[in-house]
Amino acid sequence: MTGNNKILWVDNIQVDVEGKKVVRGVSLQIGRGETHAIMGPNGSGKSSLANALAGHPNYTITSGKASINGRDLLAMDATERALAGLFLGFQYPMAIPGVTVSNFIRTALKARNGNGDSSLKNFRRELKEKFQLLEIDPSFATRYVNDGFSGGEKKRLEILQMAMLKPQMAILDETDSGLDIDALKIVATGIKSSAPADGGVLLVTHYQRLLNYIKPDRVHVMMNGKIVRSGGPELALKLEDQGYDWINSETPQEAGV
Amino acid sequence: MNTTTIENKASDFRKIDKLEPAWLYELKKNAWISYNETPTPNRVIHLWRYTDPAAFTVNGDNNLQNISRTTTEGVEPSPAFLDPSFSKTGIVFKDILSAARENEEITGEHLGGLVGSDFGKFEALNLALWNSGLFLYIPDNAIVKKPIHLLRRPVGPLTLFRLLIVVGKNAEVTIIDDYSGESNNNDALVNSAVEVYAGDSSNVHYANIQRFGDGIRSYATQRAKIGRDARMYSLFGGLGGGLIKVNAGTILAGRGADSRMQGVVFTDGNQHFDYHTLHHHRENESYSDIDFKVILKDRSTSAYTGLIRIDEYAFNCQAYQMNRNLLLNKGPKAESIPELEILCDQVSCSHGATMAPIDPELLFYLKSRGINHDDAVKSIVSGFVDPALNQLPTELRKLIRELLIGKLEGGQDD
Repeated sequence: MTGNNKILWVDNIQVDVEGKKVVRGVSLQIGRGETHAIMGPNGSGKSSLANALAGHPNYTITSGKASINGRDLLAMDATERALAGLFLGFQYPMAIPGVTVSNFIRTALKARNGNGDSSLKNFRRELKEKFQLLEIDPSFATRYVNDGFSGGEKKRLEILQMAMLKPQMAILDETDSGLDIDALKIVATGIKSSAPADGGVLLVTHYQRLLNYIKPDRVHVMMNGKIVRSGGPELALKLEDQGYDWINSETPQEAGV
Repeated sequence: MNTTTIENKASDFRKIDKLEPAWLYELKKNAWISYNETPTPNRVIHLWRYTDPAAFTVNGDNNLQNISRTTTEGVEPSPAFLDPSFSKTGIVFKDILSAARENEEITGEHLGGLVGSDFGKFEALNLALWNSGLFLYIPDNAIVKKPIHLLRRPVGPLTLFRLLIVVGKNAEVTIIDDYSGESNNNDALVNSAVEVYAGDSSNVHYANIQRFGDGIRSYATQRAKIGRDARMYSLFGGLGGGLIKVNAGTILAGRGADSRMQGVVFTDGNQHFDYHTLHHHRENESYSDIDFKVILKDRSTSAYTGLIRIDEYAFNCQAYQMNRNLLLNKGPKAESIPELEILCDQVSCSHGATMAPIDPELLFYLKSRGINHDDAVKSIVSGFVDPALNQLPTELRKLIRELLIGKLEGGQDD
């Protein structure tokens, strides 16, 4: 497998959902310490790409290759991908009735580290710190995961999980949508301080505004299942300014990663 | 059956002993007559649509009176009863026969009043011949802080458990009615009757836990009658046995009475569970809520029927009912039938049922955090039942969790 020096290496992958092709050959290389953003209008396939990379059973990768830290991603199921260091921040996080936030995160940590790694005391202290970082009320520790949470609370909890699980490669699927400006700042701060220095972050977003707080190294524009433009942070600003139509009017070009 | 035979049966009915009070003998004898008069329930009767009554009929009726009359066998009261402060508080706990002699007024007024000979054939049999009977009385204003845990086990091929609980006004108590035990001949029959009277403004927690061994067939009827402003919480946990039929209900007999009922049932292998619940509102401003959860696995079957009845002049009542079924594989079958008999037009009432496998999206969410498939299923199932189990004392809660996990890990998925 190639891509040994990259955290995430994606080579020309295609994705089907219920027999319909939604990603038509996407390639990406995210190096250590890099933050990339994928932008694009609704239905462009960016969320499908994120879900497929995380191993969602409904998203079938029909061709192409992908690796995380040089390990073949596509040979792994969703659990193994997570244990290999991948994290997906969900666009619509699921409620888990009856399972508390604290228990859920501890179960996920145990899956990573086994039982002996961290004492309950250390766990609680760290959880408390991350609650403070994301300005989440400590009472959320004993609430059921996402059960009755507002949209913004759910998104903060996704970043809290990222901060606790410390993934090598975080794919954040529209983490900014539905956040007011104050919440957006808090979430952005959380992402920046949680991303490991040698890890990678892939922000999947519709809007540029999150990128005001987290400066990406590369910006990719996705349309109709393909990356049609790649560039530096200035590309996001141009999209903010002019929308996506100008790309439509130009000849699509393959990603110049 | 003709009259002569019934009279013969009645005159044949034996006294337990010379000290048995006359009223008790009459009550039991009449129940015995009812039992013999009442035909075996017909399967077209709605409560018998899902389970064959033949499973609970007793073979060789002539020998029935020979079953053990030892009234406290198979009972292990918790150490709570050794607490000397109990007698000072006026709390009474003893077998029903002793109570019928020594606490004649209370037992005479209540025994068989809720689950008696007119309830049905099997209930009549229980009242006529119970062989493991307990009586618990909590006087007015008494507050029992420690849960009272009754451990009950079958005493032979046929066990007729009976429990009478009378809670006084403004009193508080938690009772764990815990049925367990393997059967020796793998074909034991259990018939149990539970009557709970909760006085005005009382606060009663009643948890009925059934964790019998595989071979046991069990027929159980429970009724609670709660008074004005009384609060009743009941939990029905069903885990064990082979063929289980339960009829549980609370009658809201006082204004502002409040009843919450939860069910946690897990069937696997070839188990068949048939649960019926009732909330009967007889007075104004009474409130009821049922949350009944069923987990099914392998080729097991479950039928749940839940009746809400609101009487014509019971105004401004609220009644809610929810039945959730979680199917862990493709083999099991679940039925869910809500029944409403609302005779009053000023009520707020809702019911709902769900029947679904574990949501694959939810499973993916847990897996995406590094949790493997089996542990993810465990977390989701635990989450499904934990809010109900959290009502139980720690030790019993742990024990039930272990039984649940054992069921999850055992058997076969498809």
